[in-house]
Amino acid sequence: MNYGRELLKGNTDSLLLWLINYQPMYGYQIIKELEKRSNGYFQFKEGTLYPALHRLEKAGVIQGNWQRLPTGQERRYYYITQKGQKALTERLTVWQNFSAAMDLVIQPASG
Amino acid sequence: MTTQLNYLDRFKGYLRLDTTTESDVMRELQAHLEDKSQELRESGLSEEDVSGLAAQLLGSPQLIARQIYEVYSQGSWRQALFAALPHLLIAALFALHCWQSATWLAGILIAVIGVVIYGWCHSKPIWLFPWLGYCLMPVIAIGILLIYLPGGWTWFAAVAYAPLAIIVLALLTKQIIKKDWLFASLMLLPIPIVLSWILTLGIGERLPWYEHLYGIAPWIALSFMALAVTVAIFIRIRQRWAKASALLTLEILVLAIVASATENAINFWTWLLLILLSLFLFLGPALIERRIRES
Repeated sequence: MNYGRELLKGNTDSLLLWLINYQPMYGYQIIKELEKRSNGYFQFKEGTLYPALHRLEKAGVIQGNWQRLPTGQERRYYYITQKGQKALTERLTVWQNFSAAMDLVIQPASG
Repeated sequence: MTTQLNYLDRFKGYLRLDTTTESDVMRELQAHLEDKSQELRESGLSEEDVSGLAAQLLGSPQLIARQIYEVYSQGSWRQALFAALPHLLIAALFALHCWQSATWLAGILIAVIGVVIYGWCHSKPIWLFPWLGYCLMPVIAIGILLIYLPGGWTWFAAVAYAPLAIIVLALLTKQIIKKDWLFASLMLLPIPIVLSWILTLGIGERLPWYEHLYGIAPWIALSFMALAVTVAIFIRIRQRWAKASALLTLEILVLAIVASATENAINFWTWLLLILLSLFLFLGPALIERRIRES
């Protein structure tokens, strides 16, 4: 088992929600933004992104809308919904608590 | 470019979604391929390499299509209940011994016709297909009635009516197969069940047949209850293999229910014919779909 891949798989929804909450984006843009922000650490298998986006849309946490780019091409931008913002807040709280607890456990014991 | 078009064609073949969602997903993937191709072109790759690599990096079209299908394939509980409703009505008809009530029969007939017209005009939603199956029943019932009528009616049934009925059935089934072969199997599901019970009753041989019907009515109700439960499960589960397994399991279960109720009323060869018919109606749509795609 690739631990890094498993971690990414478990946190895909949170990462996607966070990025879309930051700014509405389309699929390809999300992949590039994630790569850029993580200095290449998070590299999505391109095809797996779209099922994840559609799953989130079906769950009502994001909403896709077609928009025309200045180049004339159309892209499906994803926007976060109110339900999505609430879910993201909950997920971030859980993640921060988890991360803080992990730090406490793995840091060298003082005293 | 041809590689990408082939990729999108293969992807579409596996997708099996309603037209609007399918069109959105296809456009989205096409847009991704455009962006990726542009990126690869800018990195200095040749046009020939770009097309193949962009599609390759996206991943297996079958896997992506399956994952997206599973997002949309689960119907709501309301859809599941509505899809199971015609079978529940038939189960109630026999459980309450109301099959001779003209009001019940007319009510069910009007409901079936109304729901089918509504569903057909509203982009054929998932709950439509069990109702559509009951629209085929009068066609089959009239055929059976003609066989049992005296005089030249049997010949008329064999020469004129049966081919016409088969053509109508085949045309309708082909329309549904184009959407998804599983929906066609779902639609055809009650046919072997109804035929099994008609053969069990032995209309024409066992008079008066309706007295015998009283005896087996609870079994008939049970078989249609099983059908209703299976349809609800079919609507609620996501995976295609699980949907297909649910339909196949039901066929076996119902044939077992008929066997328990018949007391040797059906001989070996008729049983064999029923089993083959069940398998044909279950697997036939899948084979036809494959042939349509290959052509």
